[in-house]
Amino acid sequence: MTTRASGARTRAHFREAQGVLLVSREPPPPPGRIPGYPTMVGANPAEGPEILVAVWDDGSVTALNGHVDLGTGIRTALGQVVAEELDVPFAAVHVVLGHTASAPNQGATIASSTLQIHAAPLRDAAALARGWLRAAAAQRFRCAEAAVTLRDGIAARADAAAPGIPLGELVAGQHVELFLSGPVTVKAPADYSVVGTSVPRVDMAAKALGEAVFVHDVRVPQMLHGRVIRPPYAGLDVGAFVGHCLESFERDSIAHIDGIVEVVRIHDFLGVVAEREEDAQRAVHELVVHWRAFTPRSDLADVAGAVRANPSTRRELKVRGDVDAALAGAAQRLTRTYLWPYQMHASIGPSCAVADWRDGSLTVWSGTQNPHVLRAELATLMGLPDVAVDVVRLEAAGCYGRNCADDVTADAALLSRAVGRPVRVQLTREQEHAWDPKGSAQLMEIDGGLDAQGAAIAYDYRSSQPSNGAPTLALLLTRTIDPVPDVFHTGDRTAVPPYEYPNLRVAVHDMPPILRSAWIRGVSALPNSFAHECYVDELAAAAGVDPIEYRLRLLEDERAIDLVRATAREAGWRPRTQPQEGGADGDVLKGQGFAYARYFHSRFPGFGAAWAAWVAEVEVNRVTGEVHVRRVVVGQDAGTMINPEGVRHQVHGNVIQTTSRSLLESVETTKGEGTVAAREWGAYPILSFRHVPVIETVLLPRPGEPALGVGESASVPGTAAIANAIYDATGVRLRNPPFTPEVVRAALGATAPTVPPPPLPAPPAVPSAAPGWRRKGLAALAGSALLGALAVATSLVLPRPAMLPAGAAGGDFGAPLIERGRLVAASGNCMGCHTTADGAAYAGGRALDTPFGTIYTTNITPDRETGIGAWSLPAFVRAMREGVSRDGHRLYPAFPYPSFTLMSDDDLLALYAYLMALPPVRAQAPTTQLAFPYGARSLMGLWNALYVAPGPYVADPARSAQWNRGAYLVEGAGHCGACHTPRGALGAEDRGGRYLAGAFVEGWEAPSLVGGGAGPVPWTEAQLYAYLREGSSREHGAAVGPMAEVVGALRALPDADIAAMAHYLASLGPGLDDAEAAALAQRAVDASRARDATMRDGAQRMFEASCGGCHHDGAHPAIHGANLPLALNSSLHSAHPDNLVRVILEGVATPAEGVGGMPAFADSLSDDQIARLAAYMRQRFAPGAPAWAEVVAAVKRVRLAAARP
Amino acid sequence: MLALRVNGIDREVSASPDTPLLYVLRNDLALNGPRYGCGLGECGACSVLIDGVARRSCIVTVGAVAGHAVVTLEGLGTRERPHPVQRAFIEAQAAQCGYCMNGMIVGTVALLARCARPTREQIRDALAHNLCRCGAHVEILRAVELAIAQSATDPARS
Repeated sequence: MTTRASGARTRAHFREAQGVLLVSREPPPPPGRIPGYPTMVGANPAEGPEILVAVWDDGSVTALNGHVDLGTGIRTALGQVVAEELDVPFAAVHVVLGHTASAPNQGATIASSTLQIHAAPLRDAAALARGWLRAAAAQRFRCAEAAVTLRDGIAARADAAAPGIPLGELVAGQHVELFLSGPVTVKAPADYSVVGTSVPRVDMAAKALGEAVFVHDVRVPQMLHGRVIRPPYAGLDVGAFVGHCLESFERDSIAHIDGIVEVVRIHDFLGVVAEREEDAQRAVHELVVHWRAFTPRSDLADVAGAVRANPSTRRELKVRGDVDAALAGAAQRLTRTYLWPYQMHASIGPSCAVADWRDGSLTVWSGTQNPHVLRAELATLMGLPDVAVDVVRLEAAGCYGRNCADDVTADAALLSRAVGRPVRVQLTREQEHAWDPKGSAQLMEIDGGLDAQGAAIAYDYRSSQPSNGAPTLALLLTRTIDPVPDVFHTGDRTAVPPYEYPNLRVAVHDMPPILRSAWIRGVSALPNSFAHECYVDELAAAAGVDPIEYRLRLLEDERAIDLVRATAREAGWRPRTQPQEGGADGDVLKGQGFAYARYFHSRFPGFGAAWAAWVAEVEVNRVTGEVHVRRVVVGQDAGTMINPEGVRHQVHGNVIQTTSRSLLESVETTKGEGTVAAREWGAYPILSFRHVPVIETVLLPRPGEPALGVGESASVPGTAAIANAIYDATGVRLRNPPFTPEVVRAALGATAPTVPPPPLPAPPAVPSAAPGWRRKGLAALAGSALLGALAVATSLVLPRPAMLPAGAAGGDFGAPLIERGRLVAASGNCMGCHTTADGAAYAGGRALDTPFGTIYTTNITPDRETGIGAWSLPAFVRAMREGVSRDGHRLYPAFPYPSFTLMSDDDLLALYAYLMALPPVRAQAPTTQLAFPYGARSLMGLWNALYVAPGPYVADPARSAQWNRGAYLVEGAGHCGACHTPRGALGAEDRGGRYLAGAFVEGWEAPSLVGGGAGPVPWTEAQLYAYLREGSSREHGAAVGPMAEVVGALRALPDADIAAMAHYLASLGPGLDDAEAAALAQRAVDASRARDATMRDGAQRMFEASCGGCHHDGAHPAIHGANLPLALNSSLHSAHPDNLVRVILEGVATPAEGVGGMPAFADSLSDDQIARLAAYMRQRFAPGAPAWAEVVAAVKRVRLAAARP
Repeated sequence: MLALRVNGIDREVSASPDTPLLYVLRNDLALNGPRYGCGLGECGACSVLIDGVARRSCIVTVGAVAGHAVVTLEGLGTRERPHPVQRAFIEAQAAQCGYCMNGMIVGTVALLARCARPTREQIRDALAHNLCRCGAHVEILRAVELAIAQSATDPARS
């Protein structure tokens, strides 16, 4: 419903309106520069007073706040605050958040401070408005103000002597502006009726129904689509190379993509603008860009070492007593180091923005967390005054800190200015992962000790956190600002422990960033509390005291003590003085851990947000190392809860996200480069539904107490509680999250067991690893004495005569013959080689990559000039049987005439008829020019004499008609051997002992067709039929790459021909019956499943997150494709990883069955990641096969092969 | 021009057949439900129903859905008549930022279509490859159970 409250967009709209009561305030004084603190931007005085509340004559109310809703529900909660204070219906309040053209500047939405701090002006403004309305009503009623009641937007006389007046009527025809300056009388909490109730979220229905709510949904007229191309120094924003690496790009490399409007380059900033989004996306992949090498500052292989080596300045926050003396006198001293990893915000939706540059002003639609700071940055970037920039803030995917929302907004601004039209920029998943300003790593070192009675007497705490000031990327890439590392005071949140250690020294080491970093939920407090809470647990254990009892001895804060007790009680805390009393269930050890923290946010000493405590219950599998957080009881004291259900949701979200961060999350960096290597969910998995703990919340009622921030508090004790629970279960302390299975195994000294797979039948002989094409090159031939010997056979090298051109192209062959020819063409997939990706059918020009050079296929349409229109039937038959072109020159056997020679006269006639009936296409295929000696086509005569057995096919009378038909198709027109038979040095198929024994073609392995194949189940006739007919076999997998094309071509053939091919091919194998094969398949699947349970490491997690959605054993629904068991997949059982790697890199665009293909991971996974994934898959799905050697090299090799056109 | 059937309406779009369905739904048909999350079929934010099965529109080409029925979040229900699963998600307040909500609802609709009374285990499995970063899992599971309970007690709502 449109109300006046939702109609006003700018300050001017409010100021010029009639029928409104405004409450404004003078902007607070500019914050100034606080040393070591990220930039804050003051209000621009030119914009006048800040409007906080507007009451309109239709009864609607606008509430304006500078913070934004990051998915936490503050839009709803702030509406409650205003509705409460004004006594209007909740639905009457329209909340404007973060729109710079109207909302006040209240800084970034950080530190859980929206309700705790920044709601106060709104509440006070509402209270001021309420006072005015009450007075106005009293005047109307001619009564004392005290006699007026306000309820549900109606002013009435308490004695009901007159009908009530809607509040809107009191402002009708007026423009009233009140100023908030001093203290205001606000409602007593006891009178609250809206605050403290769980009003449903105002945004929920729109999101559930697909209405336009996100910045991603912005569509403006004339809008174009942009993508950016980021530099190779992924995730690094300091160093002289930043902004100086882009050498050049090749505009022509994307000339073939329609609708490209512009490629925009400003130093290292590079973007593409296109009419359509998919074309911009395609350009990102295909634009050839030349980047200079760069020298990273630090290899992050050793994060603790990198932090220690980072220059720092010590800043002491708190000193009590004499720590050194106490340490010297300690009866027991504990020196401990804790390390927090780099983590990412990992927003589900990559950042997006729309910008419209027009007449020297800029409007951006952005998901930013700090609209006013962004406005100032955009002004700097674009050379505009800040008031010429309008930041319209829309919702984005949850960010829990600063993700790439600001970056993409600046990107869109630059692209819009370059093309003079609105541009929407969507970052890719890979870009969001790589460039997300990470949550910083942190190193916490504690020295402390106990006296002889076990009392903690000293606590010497040092925390080192690389700064997290991350400038907006475009400022750096365009060299608008210099990439100079800045040092901020961001490591001090909750650095002071909550415990009253008699001798205490707390220092933080401020230091420049290493990876690009920005604030993330619980910034520095989560790591600091992790250290405090693990350490106090260690002290308790050393003192032989229950860890909660020990904490209570050291706590003085009454609310903390209440919360600790309430949480422990609710959880059924089991007092203990030593670990491993929780019992075990087989290999699963059970433990319970506690931690407590009150989050102190902002720069030290900061503000205390809500108190929180966790009791975590874990199950640790001592064999696999898996940790499952089974149950979390979380207590929180947040003061007054404006929306209790909203608070509960925040607590749940904090618990789940922190569990994920504790168990799984650490940013992978590239060896030797220190750049971010994690570019999709496989490399940075997050907790799934399967691992969500049971969560019980204990929310302490504190009516009347100030409302405290809850956006982060419940996260803060989480990781320590989990670590302490793991200690309770295992007796082992883990001090470096995440607690992955491999970390836990190593700590427990366990090695993953290897369940021996059930014995499999001896695999069929794998073809010798001497693949033909591609592996052998000129060197194999250069010194060959063969050539000399052959040279004497001159009679064989004489040119063959040209044949006269045929008269009229084609001929009158009749439909039945042409139809038969169509099937013959299909059986040989002539179209496959004689058609380019986007060319006309049969018009040739496709490049075939051979070891001897690139051979281009010819145009075989009946065009007289460029095709075979001038070929007579005899010329055609000669070419097919002897490999001689019409003009007499020799053809290369990339054209498989050594197979075609077996075709019958009738089939050749039919094929000729079919080709001659095609529409002629005038298309000159490129000329094949091979280097010496292969360029000498005449030598092919010798070759033919050596390698070609002239046809046609002679049936084997000892075999059935079906077998002979199959052999004829496979060996003749089907020319299966052309790919599946290894070739000798001179490129001829080895038709001796290795016929159909497997080979490499264009980087693909064409597996062996003899002896049953490479997989664990020999091919049966039924499976061969299914594969050739449908493109997939449940015992072998799906046809991909060139074979998928072949299956596509074979669709034209009748079932009987497919059955004949299957029958013949099956005869080359061991001849299992279907039941035997099915039993073998089941055993192989079982073996891989048994194997799965024992393999728990990063590669397994990558497989699960990247591949497991579609490739699984039936545990969840099929998403795409056939989901054939990988345990049976030939590629995984081959001696070579090439086909598996190729499919991972390129995906499967057109699957054999079902809707939806497999995506290509070439731009999402690194060589190293693919190698780990492939190695894992080999071990899990082919447990009997030896590990592949040199997988990284294979990935590089296959990338090269795949890159060829 | 490519023909496709979305939310019960035959539509024509001028896009290359290899264009991801997601882009066509969002940019040509102005639908907001399916959302770009990863482009790799990993996260589920772009889920749509194709012939009743929840599939990832980022890795389905528009050319591949000719002859298939595509239903997006918008096609499930409206403000006035939300789908029972949408209603359950709204009642259970089953989102924080809501970016994943499309996939959760579409995945649940597909689940309940093939199994009216799934166990908790089956629900978790069904949504295991739909990622949520905010940690709204507890509310989402509650929403699914609410949808099941409501359809059991009031079949007219399903």
